[in-house]
Amino acid sequence: MSSEMFTQLVDAHYAPLYRFALSLTKSPSDAGDLTQQTFFIWAKQGHALREAGKAKSWLFTTLYREFLRGRRRSERVSALEELGPVEADPPAPEVDVVAGMDAGLVVEALQEVDETYRVPLTLFYLQDLSYKEIAEMLEVPIGTVMSRLSRGKVQLRVTLARKEAGSQGRVVAFNNPQARKFS
Amino acid sequence: MNNEEAKFILQGYRPNGADAGDATFCAAVEQAKRDPALGEWFARQQSFDTAVGAKLAQVAPPSGLRAAILAGGKVTAPVRPAPRWWNRPAWVGAAAGVALLLTAGVALWPNRAEALSDFVLDDMRTSGGHEGHGPGSSVLQAVFSNPDARLGQALPVNFAQLHETGCRTLLCQGNHVLEACFNRDGMWFHAYVVRRADFPAEVRNSLLISDHGKMSMATWADDEYVYMVVSRSGRKNLELLL
Repeated sequence: MSSEMFTQLVDAHYAPLYRFALSLTKSPSDAGDLTQQTFFIWAKQGHALREAGKAKSWLFTTLYREFLRGRRRSERVSALEELGPVEADPPAPEVDVVAGMDAGLVVEALQEVDETYRVPLTLFYLQDLSYKEIAEMLEVPIGTVMSRLSRGKVQLRVTLARKEAGSQGRVVAFNNPQARKFS
Repeated sequence: MNNEEAKFILQGYRPNGADAGDATFCAAVEQAKRDPALGEWFARQQSFDTAVGAKLAQVAPPSGLRAAILAGGKVTAPVRPAPRWWNRPAWVGAAAGVALLLTAGVALWPNRAEALSDFVLDDMRTSGGHEGHGPGSSVLQAVFSNPDARLGQALPVNFAQLHETGCRTLLCQGNHVLEACFNRDGMWFHAYVVRRADFPAEVRNSLLISDHGKMSMATWADDEYVYMVVSRSGRKNLELLL
């Protein structure tokens, strides 16, 4: 692969890959390392990919596998599959409230979603891969992806609502004599 | 489809509209247009998903990351394949001897059949999504996804017409292989159809189910065609279709 093509590939995908890695690792430096590692593997092996159009899926899949390789999967990840049916829609913060929230706070809420659901949910919100591609990447049936998206959204809404309530609780008028107690 | 089923499907619909052409969502989206309550729920979901997606997109990678990746790419050489064995005289001699011993057996071995099933499994492993083909793909998909159709028997397939109308067609040993993904009860399967005359060694008198790692494959034939359905959802789910 020429240097120019490699640059194009990096420019097209490194930002969403970093966001995905950040959601997985919860650490900006680890996310940067994981993104770099993914492109390093591409530089070594990616040229052998039969279809150029599959590069995006290949990169996301490789990043995820590298993440899994980097740590031993906890017992909890598989245990979560045993949960019961999807809950009804929980109370969610209004859309304009989410829109007004700090991006870091929303990402923080996403990072608090259990990993089983966070992986497909982050890929869904990055909007780069279809649910079919997510299923292929995670090697699970499509119905499982849909179910995990559903459960993940429930957790995310609850977490966002809690964070929103928390941030409201911390807003104290400057002239309020109690203000220093909340700092 | 009731509203709960429609909601289950619609919550996988990306808010940027990238799934608008995906047949899986069509019926649920149409239902949301007809049913005000479902429509309102869907609009709320899409707004919420748009807001969260926009926030995620605001996360900027560290400033030096792009440069570091590009620099790393420049100094990373692609992995070179190991030296070919046929460049080594000793191996060439040994291979020639083995070839002589196998010559007679090869003609009797059902390698063509093996080649086809290997080809199908290889396609499953290496191809991500199989969407994006002509109307022929949808026709073949409809044949297999029909909930009333029991597989493992003759199916209403017009091979030539499906090929001409853009059904995904692969080439195995110079012969056409039709492929379509289909959904049954929320699980996806991949169907492959070949002309019986093109792969005579693949013709079996009875249904065969085989396991290949995480994949299971059902193979059967009728008077004209050989059918192969591959599942990543486990052997039991595959057997439910038969």
